[in-house]
Amino acid sequence: MAQKAVLDSGSLQDWLKTISSSTQLMAPVRRGRTSFAFTQMDDPADVRLDYVRTVLSPKQAFLPSREPLLSVQRGSMASAPQLMDAPFVLFGVHPCDLMAINQLDWSMLKRHGIEDPYYRSRRNAATIVALDCLPDKYCFCTSVGSSDTREGADVFLTPLKSGYAVESLTKKGEALLKSAKLRDLTRELAAEADAFPQQKRRRTILKLEADVQDLPALLDAKYDSPVWKQVAQRCYSCGTCTNVCPTCFCFDVREVADLTLETASRWRQYDSCQFSDFALVAGGHSFRGERADRARHRWFRKFVYLNREHGQPFCVGCGRCSQQCTAGISLVDVINSIIAEAKERAA
Amino acid sequence: MTASMVRSQPERGGETLYTPRPARIARTKQLTELERLLEVEMADGSELGHQPGQFVQVSVFGFGEAPISVSSSPAKRGSFELCVRNMGGLTAALHRIGEGETIGIRGPFGNGFPMNCLQKMDCLMVAGGIGMAPLRSVINTVIADRDRYGRLIVLYGSRTPGDILFHDDLEAWKGDKRNEILLSVDREAAGWTGHVGVVTTLFPKVKIDAKGLAASLCGPPVMYRFVLAELNAMHVPDDQIFLSLERRMKCGMGKCGHCQINNHCVCIEGPVFTAREARRIHESI
Repeated sequence: MAQKAVLDSGSLQDWLKTISSSTQLMAPVRRGRTSFAFTQMDDPADVRLDYVRTVLSPKQAFLPSREPLLSVQRGSMASAPQLMDAPFVLFGVHPCDLMAINQLDWSMLKRHGIEDPYYRSRRNAATIVALDCLPDKYCFCTSVGSSDTREGADVFLTPLKSGYAVESLTKKGEALLKSAKLRDLTRELAAEADAFPQQKRRRTILKLEADVQDLPALLDAKYDSPVWKQVAQRCYSCGTCTNVCPTCFCFDVREVADLTLETASRWRQYDSCQFSDFALVAGGHSFRGERADRARHRWFRKFVYLNREHGQPFCVGCGRCSQQCTAGISLVDVINSIIAEAKERAA
Repeated sequence: MTASMVRSQPERGGETLYTPRPARIARTKQLTELERLLEVEMADGSELGHQPGQFVQVSVFGFGEAPISVSSSPAKRGSFELCVRNMGGLTAALHRIGEGETIGIRGPFGNGFPMNCLQKMDCLMVAGGIGMAPLRSVINTVIADRDRYGRLIVLYGSRTPGDILFHDDLEAWKGDKRNEILLSVDREAAGWTGHVGVVTTLFPKVKIDAKGLAASLCGPPVMYRFVLAELNAMHVPDDQIFLSLERRMKCGMGKCGHCQINNHCVCIEGPVFTAREARRIHESI
């Protein structure tokens, strides 16, 4: 059982200050009227823990939108890897995004028995402080099993009226909490913290109309459903959904020589299976040339292929893709209309 | 199954799985207007250690990487060959590169053709266009250990006579009476006295017994559809047909997602699949 304590609201700032004075702190800040972003903090006073979701997910701490891989020397082709290993604290990660980090750990570190060295390096450097949260109308974490994620966090915070219930889950977490001014958890506050998950479930309105474990078979049978064409009629193939997705990990590798033509830098950056050239091969043939093929691939990858391979869906119910889709396509609506179609057929 | 072929931990000396190993262009040969053959030696003198049908990631300074299949047989020691079609960018740079210059190599990646399934069998090779590049590696592996295999039947379709690759090899293969080498071009051309028609029109010209036959195919997707129909009609079992799928792999380690077809990762599980597997994968061919 994890050690539980209380951090009063008034002590949060001091703790963040101590953290940021000794290590890099990455935490949510307010960027626009309603938008938030995980950012490398200069001033911990800017940290905002009252956010619902950030525009980009905290996966950028481990899989940045653009990341250097190598610098290559002209002539010799000698190259040096550019690994990021400076310790940092990722603060305020919601349970859905935490589950997404666990999914990425599997895909980048374990899948096919191959470990991505860049991801490994950043992941080792991180201490993660997770923070429980309440949903808005785009959230459906309770449908995909991510709402109570603790695994992957070093410290877990549950909001209380007067502060946070604090659980230390790992040795790293214990070390980080040494600089926090904690007091014992009273019976009343423990009860308040224990009631939080129910409150979260009660407030989650959006739901998938089937168990995620049933989705591989259900969607497989709907491979040729007209729904994919209907989605394609609205989709712009802009790639916003995959950019903001906390579990999407596909990337492109690019290289550019510097002006002296002595060295070149090779980097990787987010790519999207929604782009028309993603599955293009040298002969000019694209294996998912139709927009509907690409749309289906995204849903299938999340709920069928990787769900089957890993035993968990590659969707954590964060709601980012639906909230930010330029065409207003809701991921949940699409799944639910497939489910409805399947039930109609069965009836 | 092929994950063990890939180095799975960052290596000493600051190397990672993404680090290309320097390699030298030993010789070059223009094969056709579009295709050039590069003979490559690893700078540290090591063997590439590939299987026929595997691919490498080739690095060219300032251009990055591209997946290119190895065109020589593992029986060839000391160097390996890449057949490069000039498609612009990196491959155009490989058409300009001079002997003695250095490129980078990662890999080999993928599974390759299952040579153990070809042994003792009559080997049918069906190549379309640049599909001959990886199949040449398979064929020369058979040639290097000829007694272990049954008949060798090569059906090779090109668009025009000018597109035919590896004339020297074709002549050498024809030199052995046990081998049947049949060429075809898509359309009539001046000076061409051979067969005209798509590669499947070569099938009636050879006597093929489905029993004891292993078919290896490499070519464009449209070729697979017609050749598979042909082999089906001859009752060749789907699990005795091997075909290589072309995808544009960026990492070669099952991470980047580019070669994902449905639930399959071509750079790890492929690029060679049995026809039985390929038929189950909607987006494969």
